[in-house]
Amino acid sequence: MAGAAGLTARPRVVRARGRLSSLEPEEPVAATMKRLFGGRPLQDAGRIVALDLPLIAENGAQVTMAVEVQSPMTEQNFVRHIYIIADRNRRPLNARFTLTPGMGQAFVGATLRLGESTEVRAIAELSDGTLLMARREVKVTVGGCGG
Amino acid sequence: MSADIGRIRIRVPAIINPGEVVRARVLVIHPMEIVDRRDGKPVDRSYNFLNRMIVNYLGREILRVEMTQSISENPVFGFAFRASEAGPLRVTFLDTQGGTYEATTDVKLG
Repeated sequence: MAGAAGLTARPRVVRARGRLSSLEPEEPVAATMKRLFGGRPLQDAGRIVALDLPLIAENGAQVTMAVEVQSPMTEQNFVRHIYIIADRNRRPLNARFTLTPGMGQAFVGATLRLGESTEVRAIAELSDGTLLMARREVKVTVGGCGG
Repeated sequence: MSADIGRIRIRVPAIINPGEVVRARVLVIHPMEIVDRRDGKPVDRSYNFLNRMIVNYLGREILRVEMTQSISENPVFGFAFRASEAGPLRVTFLDTQGGTYEATTDVKLG
């Protein structure tokens, strides 16, 4: 579970349930990236990681995002995690998906909250540890007051 | 609204061929509270938001999502799964106040 430290692990939630200390830290995106991936190499791979987002979001409170990674989903070779990060949110990490070969296809989606116009990154961590990244810029007309 | 917290709707295609990879959509009703700010500072109180979604198919976990308040209110999630057999697709959500919300749909193969 490399990179797991970035998200509230269950024991941490129980110890300080719901208080600020149990939330993701407010931090610049560079700190989030360092916390999650350290100095590991990250390849820009917009052709392998297809990140689908609107160019303009009227309402930052609900922005539909989908990501599909062109990768096998076999026991030997699959996409283990997909991280979604909104650069300009106060707490940039939106979600971490943990996938399994049983999905058959590395496709996930969610509705994001974006505080303002921002670049959004999808980072796929393959089962061999390779990190692949795609980025998209989203113009937000009315911010979603992103936590 | 609050009475509806945790209401879940799962949508899968009506007609699925055995072994086909299909996409499911899940809607859950939840306020996903964001941090209040007073004088620019975050207010230290307990916030209620979903922080986990777990998807089980045929009794095996196929997807887990750890999430933050940067996910919208009443969020919608999508995911792919390989419909190898007919059987239950179960989705469970957990929130920061100890709430557990669950729904199941039967995957039928045509």
